[in-house]
Formats: sequence, structure tokens, C-alpha cells
Amino acid sequence: MLWRPEDLMLYEYDALSSVRQPDAVVFPRTTEQVVQIVRLAARENLPVVPRGAGTGLSGGAVASEGGIVLGFSRMKEILEIDLESERARVQPGVVNLDLSLAVSDHGYYFVPDPSSQKACTIGGNVAENSGGPHTLAYGVTTNHVLGLEMVLPSGEVIHTGAKFWDRPGYDLTGLFVGSEGTLGIVTEITVRLSRKPEAVKTLLAIYDRVVDATKTVAAITAQGITPAALEMMDGFTLRAVEEATHAGYPMDCAAVLLIEVEGLTEAVEEHAQAVESVCRGNHVREFRRAKTAEERDLLWKGRKNAFGALGRISPSYYVQDGVIPRTRLPEMLEFIGEVERRYTLRIGNIFHAGDGNLHPLLMFDARDKEQSARVLKAAQEIMGKCVEMGGSITGEHGVGIEKNEMMPLIFSNDDLAMMRRIKEAFNPQGRFNPGKVLPVGKMCGELRVQVSAGGEV
Amino acid sequence: MTQTLEAVRSELAALVGESKITFEPAACAALAVDGKTPACVVYPPSAEQVAAVLHYAAESGLAVLPCRNTTKLNTGNSPRGYDLALSLKEMNQVWHYEPADLTISVEPGMKLGDFQRFVGRQGLWLPLDPRGGAKASLGGILATNSAGPLRLRYGSPRDMVLGLKIATVEGKIIKAGGRVVKNVAGYDMVKLLVGSYGTLGVIVEASLKLYPSPPSRATWVLRVGTLDKAREVRRRLLHSPLEPFRMTLLDGPAAALVRGSSRAPATAAECEVWVEVGGSAKVIERCERELLELGRAADAPAALLDAGEAEGFWIRISDPLAWLKDAYPDVVVLRVSLPIAAGEEFLGRAQRQMGDQNVGMAGFAGVGVVTVCLLEPQRARDFSGLVQRLRRAAEEAGGALVVEHCPWELKKGIEVWGSPGDDFEAMRRLKSVWDPKGALSPGRFLGGM
Repeated sequence: MLWRPEDLMLYEYDALSSVRQPDAVVFPRTTEQVVQIVRLAARENLPVVPRGAGTGLSGGAVASEGGIVLGFSRMKEILEIDLESERARVQPGVVNLDLSLAVSDHGYYFVPDPSSQKACTIGGNVAENSGGPHTLAYGVTTNHVLGLEMVLPSGEVIHTGAKFWDRPGYDLTGLFVGSEGTLGIVTEITVRLSRKPEAVKTLLAIYDRVVDATKTVAAITAQGITPAALEMMDGFTLRAVEEATHAGYPMDCAAVLLIEVEGLTEAVEEHAQAVESVCRGNHVREFRRAKTAEERDLLWKGRKNAFGALGRISPSYYVQDGVIPRTRLPEMLEFIGEVERRYTLRIGNIFHAGDGNLHPLLMFDARDKEQSARVLKAAQEIMGKCVEMGGSITGEHGVGIEKNEMMPLIFSNDDLAMMRRIKEAFNPQGRFNPGKVLPVGKMCGELRVQVSAGGEV
Repeated sequence: MTQTLEAVRSELAALVGESKITFEPAACAALAVDGKTPACVVYPPSAEQVAAVLHYAAESGLAVLPCRNTTKLNTGNSPRGYDLALSLKEMNQVWHYEPADLTISVEPGMKLGDFQRFVGRQGLWLPLDPRGGAKASLGGILATNSAGPLRLRYGSPRDMVLGLKIATVEGKIIKAGGRVVKNVAGYDMVKLLVGSYGTLGVIVEASLKLYPSPPSRATWVLRVGTLDKAREVRRRLLHSPLEPFRMTLLDGPAAALVRGSSRAPATAAECEVWVEVGGSAKVIERCERELLELGRAADAPAALLDAGEAEGFWIRISDPLAWLKDAYPDVVVLRVSLPIAAGEEFLGRAQRQMGDQNVGMAGFAGVGVVTVCLLEPQRARDFSGLVQRLRRAAEEAGGALVVEHCPWELKKGIEVWGSPGDDFEAMRRLKSVWDPKGALSPGRFLGGM
């Protein structure tokens, strides 16, 4: 347990922002200890905030109203691996990549791959329903979680779902994944393991015009090719990435697409050819195929460290997570360009383009109040456009304290009232992760976001 | 029902119009469940009218069962009450169809067969082979999260729904999720509604992910003989680089029935493993080489099934009730969900449980789901004891058993869903959030919810 202010400082932020210190940080080792802490918090009427590695991008793991932070770094056992049934049971503190490494020699992996996967925990993935580049073909966390052990605010322990599909009753597992610790605290997770594909091909398409890249994305989807990943970075982002990682990206282009196709060798070859011909039909300047595993890793390293690279050139940035129908990418990129000019800002564009999930990064200096206000306005316009196109305010980062006031943009009062009633059924006093997910009625007048280098997506 | 029929008629007529209500005995009898016949069938043509009917029913203390084509209406406990059948037959609209985005929003009354034809024109499909087959409505498929063997490759409806609009007993229309393929905003009420068997609200619109349909498919049959060999073949297949679309193990009687004999063979016939692969010609060729080799290595010779016949056979496998009930009108269908590794062993135990009961059993073991059809359950000396023993076997193997279809006379003595777990109180709380007066499908779900 930590209680000294200098220790608590470490827990006042996540990858979104720094908010305030918790009153205490506790590191339970067992479900029983979590129960005890939850009961104590109930007695003392203190908020309880679960926390994995603190890599989240929406403030889900910060104690924005103080209270006890439950740090899961000591609950990191892989409890069971059943390869024949393609399942594993883990504690919430298990690091995402560690699970994949544990089964890798047998040809299996855990599919969700947030860019922070070397640090982020599976408990955190469950709380935020995290995604990653490879969720395009295989879905986000919820599609890979079958069961949970949860501690409710009353201290009651329940087990949802099972190792098998379709346990009779409501799909509580599906409801709890992505509920950001506001309905209960997850103490054990049953996940699905997937077989690694026989072949993987990583492709890089280089463009002189952004619009050609975005049109390629729409055309790939429309032609029914489903790559495992389809990522886009614009020239500005790319140059920052290249300077930081030397991944071999061209310095003078307008955009690149990083495309991965995987599966049976024969299928992969055909898909790679189909992707190439779509790229050629859309004025690609150069089309490269990674020839070795090293080349592939380098291309991904560049992509996965892009946020850090941008952090090197700007004191602060604000990353968004909106989603739009993927056919409307060309239009959206044009709009973001216009916003950039109108607000005289720099915006880096780095997208999970294949599923229309945008991560525009708005560069600014948080010390400059006027600039911060401009960034906020620009961000609101971009989000407004996503909503207008029939999209969503978050594709994979979660709502947290960052977007809870934006929920009314996509949900009606009736929709939100139903969510509130669901919350009250589990967390009537609102002590579990207070102030997250649902709007609390504060205006989003201030940018609570002061990200510096290090955030990943 | 405390109101007079006349009062109900005039109230409903005010909500949906006289032409969308019927009290006709034949129409009501067609939607009877477990001996209970509704007094009235309502066919609201719009989402708002569904909500209005639900609100009226809940406020008036009427019990409502949502339905469409009755392919799955038998599943569940006998309803505590059944005043109104809410048929979604008139709700067949397509609202947003974006083939280039691989997304669509549709109303729940559309039948799967019509839906597949509609999106098939653009080379797309919804990769589901649920029970009820082409006749199953989208709303029913989602309400029961019904997935057949294609689940191996594509997942279940749960993985394909992007968003829902749900009519509630408060008379409101609630939106869950959205229309884009990635969305984690707010509580995932989609998951809660999918598989809730019409006990929380009524799905009035669903936004779905679509998939490009594969250029071609091919089915191979491996004659495995014994369950032990079946297990070995399943292990090898799942461990191979092949990414099969569907896989199922048919015990002897199931194999004979699927292939067209009208009665199950009396003597033990050989087990077969069926594997469907799909993709381009080159992919299929590669799969053929691998399957032949795997068959040789496992001493389970593989043979290609005639392409014209294969699809019909798969329809039988994914929806056995639809055709078995012709020869076996009392057939009982049990659905057993298990850890993948336990399928064959459970099937073996089920066969032994049948023993001298003379009931006749056909077993289909998919990956993680075993369907047991009891062909002549009325011949069992102790039917409820038999179901109990099978359920115990499922639970000991780490799974659960649901009675998916059962004639009313036999259903009386058995548990449809099995016993709830320590999360039941949480489920009950959700039920009372959505349907505080218990108007929707009362008593039909787990634990009499």
C-alpha cells in the first residue's frame, strides 16, 4: 500500500492526463483481498478505482474524485492455459503481450493488440474494451473474452460467462467488458486464444496525395478484401516517426498505408496481389513488401511508436478516437485539413483506416491558454463531423473522463437514462470509478488533456 | 388478462389500426406456446408502434411474447402468462445499406433467406447458419444469439451486431451501439440484448456487419469411425494451418439421417467428421492436399462431397429439428455447450446414457457445441431422469445443457435452462431495470425470469 504524497504522485495520471492524486494505492494479491478493500471502502464511503498499467487514453484509471486506487500489478498470474480448448484464465494484472508470449511456442496468441501491449494489462483491456491494429479482421477485446470474475460494490463476488460459449442467461460478460470499472471490479478473466496464421505479409503503399491513400482504403473494403490490419499515417506524422525510429519510411510523401494480410499462404499471396492492384489503381507512388521478419517488425515499430515520435516534436498533443464509415475517409481527411488551416494548428493523422477509426493528433503547447482553447474547439469540430457522418466518439480508447460529456452527441436522453439505470443496478452509490463513462453535467469547457510524449495507441 | 377483449381490441386498434390486430382463433393457435394460446396477435408495422404496444401491454398487465416465424418460439420455460403475441412480420424494411462499407441496418422481421438474397447481389452475406435456417427472422436470430457450425470461422450474431434499436415497455426506443464497425462508447447494451430471448425489450432495428462471400466452398468427409479417432482428427484439424469454415462430428445415426435415410440405423454406424473449407480455387486445392494427407496420417480416409449436395446437408446439420420432426414428431433437441476439448467425450457419455432406453439419438458435435436429438423421447422409461443425467454429464465435462426444443407434455418434468449461477441476482436486477412489471416473455428464461 502507498500513502505518501510523493508515491501517490505516480498514480495521479494515465496516458491521457494528470488529474489528482488518490488518497491511497493498494496492491491486492487475491480476490479475497479485493473484497476486503471494497468492503472497507463501502464502510468509509470512499471511491474505488481499479488500475492496470495506467496506459489508458481516456482517463479511466485515474482517481478523478480521490479515494482508493486498486493497483493490479501483483495480480498477474496466468491461472490456466487450455490449448486444446483454446482458452486461458488470467488475473487482471497480466500484461497483454505476456499472455501471447506464453502460448506463442505452441502457435497461439491473444488477438487484441493495443500499441501499448508491452505494458498494458488484460484487466485494463477488458475495462476499456481495447482495440489495436489487428482488430480490423478479428474484433476488439469483447470478441475475445468469455468469462469474468467480478467484485461488486457490495463486496459480492460473481462469475459471469464460462469457458464455453453461450452459458444460459444474459451476457453479463458482454455488458461488463468496456464498462470501465463502473459496474464491478474484474478479478479474473477467461479469454479465447487464437491460432497464429500460417503466413503474414506486410505491405507498405506510398502516396504523393493523401486523397489517393484514403480512396485506396475505401476501395479495398468495397472489393471485399479484409486485411488483418490497414493503417494510415500522413506525411507529417511519418516524418516525425522516421526521425525517431528510422523504420525506412520515405520522408517526402503525403501518406502511407501499412497493410497486413494473413492466413493460409495461398490466400495471403492472392490478397497481397489484390491489394497491390487496388493501390496501383489509386496512383500509388511505390508499393513495397516487407521481405523479412526484421523489415516487418521495423515497419510496425514505426507505427506503434508514432505517438512517442510526435511527442518529441510537440510539447503536448491531444489524440482523438472518433470513428466514421470507412468509405467517407477521403471527405473526412479533407475536413481535418480545413480545420487545421482554419485554426492554424498542426494535426498529425494516424488512423486504423480499415475500420474508419481516426486518431488525429492535435499539436499544441499546454502552457499556452489561447492555443489550448483553439485545440479544444478544433477537436470538437472534428468530433462533430464524425457524429454527423453517423460515426462514434470512441472506437477503442473508451469514454473515461475525457468524452463522458460528449456522450449526448450520439445518445439520446432515453439511451443515457437506460445506461444510468444499468449503472445504478450495480453501483447505486456510484463509488466504483466515479465520474467515468456517463455525463456528470460539467461542460467540456476545459481541455483536461495534457498529454506529453509516451502515450501509445 | 383482466380487461375485456373488447377493451383490448379498441385500445390496440387505436395504437396500430384495426387491420393490424387479429383475435382469430387459427392465427392465435399458430403462435401457441406449450399449450398456452394468446388471445390476440398484433402486427405493428413500425418501431414506434411496437413501443406503444409494449407500453400499453405492460401498463395493462398483459403478458407479451415477441415472435415472427416461430422457428425458435418453443425454446424456454412455459410462459407464466401469454395474452398478446407481438408479431414482427410487418417489419421488413432496410434502412441503411452501405455495401461499400459492409454495413446494413434492417428491421427484425426480415427472414434470413430474403436477407441473404438481398445482400448477395453485391457478393455479400451474413455468415450465419442458425436454427430455423432461411426461415428464421433476423430479430429471432439475434434474440437467441443463434449460431450454427459457421461460428467456427465467423463467430456468432453477438460478434456481427454493430448496433440495435430496442423498443421498451416504457414505450421508448433505445439505441445501443451504432452503425460503424468499431465503437466502444457507453455500456454495451447490444451484448445484453443479443441472446436475451425477448425478455428485456424488442429489437426493432439492427445494424449488422456484412462479409464478402467466399468465391467457392468445398466439403470433405473424413470417415473416422470411433469417437477417439474423431477427437484426434479434430485436434489435427484445429492445429493445422487450414482455417475451416465449419466442422462437425456426426455420430452414426446422425450421419445416416443427414444423408437421407428416413430412420436412424438400429445398429452402431460409423462416425464421420465433416469439414467445409472456402476461398479461391488455389486455397481449395491446398486444403484438399492437406485434408487428404491428414486423413491418411490419421487413418480416416477423406472424400470430397458432391458440391450440389453439400449445402443441403449443412442446412440439415445446423437445423436438425426442421426435418427430423417429419419422421419423429416428438423429437427433443438438446444443445450442450462445452469446452472444445470435451465434445467427443460428452457425445460418448450421451450415447452410453441412452443405453437400453430405446429412444434413438442423433448427435452432432460442432466445435464447442454438441446437439443431441432424442428421436423418440416418448419411449423413454424416465425421460426427465434421462435429461438430468445428460445435464450432469455436460456439467461434469465443464459445460451446460439447454433443452432447445421439447414437446409440451415432456417439458413439464424438466428444467429447460439448468440451474443459475452466482450471477443470477445480477441478471434479475437487469431484468427489473428493463421490464419491471414482467410483461415480456414472463417466466420463460433462466431461473423463471
